[in-house]
Amino acid sequence: MKKKRLSFSEIYLALVTLITYLPIAVVIVFSFNDSKLPVAWKGFTLRWYERLFHDAALMEALRNSIVLGLVSCLFAAVIGTLGAIGMARVHFKSKGMMEYLSTMPIMLPEIILGMVFMAFFSMLKLPFGWPTLIIAHTSFCIPYVYLMVKARLVGIDKSIEEAARDLGASPSRAFFDITLPLILPAVSSGCVLSFAMSFDDVVISIFVNGPTLSTLPIKVYTQMRTGVTPEINALCTLILIAVILILSLSSFLRNRETSDDDK
Amino acid sequence: MKSFWTDRRWLCVLPLYAFTLVFVLGPVVYMVAVSFAQNEAGTGFRWAFTLENFAKMRDPVYVQCFRESFTLALSTTLLCSLIGYPFGYCMGRLGKRGKRLMMFLVMVPFWTSSLIRLYGWLILLQAKGVFNNLLIALGLINEPLKILYTYPAVLIGMVYGLLPFMILAVYTSVEKMDWTLIEAARDLGASRAKAFFTVTLRLTLPGLMSGIILTFVPSMGLFFIADLLGGNKIVLVGSLIQDQMTRGGNQPFAAALALILAAVTTVMLWAYRRLTGTAELEGML
Amino acid sequence: MKKKLLALLCAAATLLALSGCGAKNNSSKELVLYTWEEMFPQEVLDGFTQKTGIKIVYSNFDYDETMLEKLTQAKGGDYDVIIADDYIIEQAVQAGLVGELDKSIIDNYSNINPRYQGQFYDPEDKYTVPYGCGIPLIVYDPSVVDFEIKGYNDLWNPALKDSVAITANYRVINGITLLSMGKSMNEEDLDVIAKAGEKLIALAPNIRLIQDDNTQDALLNGEAKAAFLYTSQVTQVMSENPNLKVVYPEEGLGYGIMAAFVPVNAPNAKAANEFLRYLLEPEISKACMEYIGYVNTTGAADSIVDPSLVAPENAGTGEFIMNVSETANDAYNKNWIAFKAACGQ
Repeated sequence: MKKKRLSFSEIYLALVTLITYLPIAVVIVFSFNDSKLPVAWKGFTLRWYERLFHDAALMEALRNSIVLGLVSCLFAAVIGTLGAIGMARVHFKSKGMMEYLSTMPIMLPEIILGMVFMAFFSMLKLPFGWPTLIIAHTSFCIPYVYLMVKARLVGIDKSIEEAARDLGASPSRAFFDITLPLILPAVSSGCVLSFAMSFDDVVISIFVNGPTLSTLPIKVYTQMRTGVTPEINALCTLILIAVILILSLSSFLRNRETSDDDK
Repeated sequence: MKSFWTDRRWLCVLPLYAFTLVFVLGPVVYMVAVSFAQNEAGTGFRWAFTLENFAKMRDPVYVQCFRESFTLALSTTLLCSLIGYPFGYCMGRLGKRGKRLMMFLVMVPFWTSSLIRLYGWLILLQAKGVFNNLLIALGLINEPLKILYTYPAVLIGMVYGLLPFMILAVYTSVEKMDWTLIEAARDLGASRAKAFFTVTLRLTLPGLMSGIILTFVPSMGLFFIADLLGGNKIVLVGSLIQDQMTRGGNQPFAAALALILAAVTTVMLWAYRRLTGTAELEGML
Repeated sequence: MKKKLLALLCAAATLLALSGCGAKNNSSKELVLYTWEEMFPQEVLDGFTQKTGIKIVYSNFDYDETMLEKLTQAKGGDYDVIIADDYIIEQAVQAGLVGELDKSIIDNYSNINPRYQGQFYDPEDKYTVPYGCGIPLIVYDPSVVDFEIKGYNDLWNPALKDSVAITANYRVINGITLLSMGKSMNEEDLDVIAKAGEKLIALAPNIRLIQDDNTQDALLNGEAKAAFLYTSQVTQVMSENPNLKVVYPEEGLGYGIMAAFVPVNAPNAKAANEFLRYLLEPEISKACMEYIGYVNTTGAADSIVDPSLVAPENAGTGEFIMNVSETANDAYNKNWIAFKAACGQ
């Protein structure tokens, strides 16, 4: 009886997942198609992959996106983690308001953030390009790290750190030896999430990017209007493979960790 | 007494405070100010207080934009709930391995470029695209169906892009649910449906609500899906703002539009807080 | 208190460092060229780099207005050479964002066909070098359209329901509607503009898509039966499918010149002028026009360029889209939004 019901839900899960993967499958299939137009199958080719590695502009956009994601997620990790730790201990009157403000960038529709940054940066006369992109991306990366670490801190027994201090550890020592290892998983998953968001952001980047800078999503967006070359399909296939590898690896590692715990 | 200034904990929050004040509060205050400024021909504006930008919004053309955005966001959210809730629920009922597998499958598309996945739909739906070719080959239709550049195409794109948020939100709350409560309800003679509606639905409501917020808020502002899959034919507030920031060159009006949009969002979040009593959105992370 | 000050200073220093790290190095070895995508064959750009050692950074905008916005915010800096449409150049000149050309560097300025000189946006030929000329036209597929399209008014024909693709410039589309009514593309009379708005809304049921880039693809992939296209798109679609038919609308033509200018605070103005000189070389002009499919404006290249790209006798009877008053512009904008919204219904 129970088994039958489960199989119904399994069918549902499978069906929706299948539909989710349909467009991705199409993109992958056409990355091997021997025609510029994604209309009909003209035969197998690897030339788009070959071209991809020779397309300097696309490779630069990819590099920019990775650098941007890493830098903003690094800034966000420092600011967000310190902020979450500090916020848990201070009792400023402004705390609630500040918490609301600092998480606002992910609560507002992206377009608002984009236009607000564009107007503000031009008022400040910040040069459009790396600085503006990094600030904008950091702003919406911070909330992810902050909220993750905050949630983790709630679960940590404060007395552990206090005990360490009672035993004579300096505050920084207590922090680095006790608190940091405990929140590290939260910091790293916050970073991973921020990187993913930064790597995929179109709307905000369109508003704040400079004349000579292009990120991968911006490149894809412009190409989608001017005609996508199958090189983009090829690039996405490669990114997908990388993602699957990374996700499998991390879930494998976590898997081993938890099964160790079980023992 | 420990002096405040010798204690270092405030140093921890300093970067967050500084960044937030300068780069979040600053821009927002600036935008509010600009929305009351006077537009000037060309691309500039003058600091003279006016309500003109807000008055302009009462024009039926712009009211319709807001209505259109709202309807689209609402239908997107509704569809996401209808598809995503059962999905998250079923996922939560799987065994440990099943959960891990499904989580993996949900996360992979999340990591691939959302634009590229949209492009996949473009390939699928166009007149001489995969979908139409298949239907013609099967003899189901003679003329290609016009799907691309229509409202349903935009809806498909929106639901597709936002569904993972709903699924993850619902899944998180189903995961946390205490199944013994349902067993208890069943033992007390409640039918399966009744147990679902009185216990399960109520316990997973925070997840569903959070999912609704997480799909509704972004869908109010998304404009590129309507541009790319809708052939630029649906004017949403998002594209209106972008137009005003770039093509129309009326920054104060764009700021006023954004302010109203932000107000709608804030009201939604406030309502969520009042209804669920928490500030954090479930399953957002 | 001292500590607080110190902390604030540190924060400020971090911010400064942050904004400083991205500042561009204004080496004279770089030229920022800002225009639409796909405006130059790679050989032409590479040729310039080989000749002068100056690296070209090819940067793109999607609409003229985006360009003006960015240029305004950069206070006429950041970019070295910009190529855009005539009417927006007039605005840029009036806003003081355009620098005068250095004709001691551009010693081949006389290569330009005089027909394209002294235009409204630059009556004294101080600021611009024309790059190419375009006339948007109607193209349709006679195998699926069973009547003859002669002008703009035929686009309103109910037989074309849900099958017309058009470009996305609000002034151009407003303009052809006005032309179809026998009015000027630059109408200032608000009542007439409102009438044009009503007429535009009547066109909505026929519109399949509104898109500025690759609009011609809609004719090839079966999404549209007729399309209103820019010159380059016409050239391109005709080479893909010669069975399509090109229409010079009987109600009158829109006429546009894309011209290059040097922003007033261009980081590398010398290289910019050298680049413009390079563009006026007949061989280079020929390569560019044959690549983008626009009407050639460099008279010195007329004899070597593909003859279909040399202006026909009757060219010049068309009308330029010019800047109009703010109220008229507002009205055009509103027409456009209402029209797009009606298309989505």
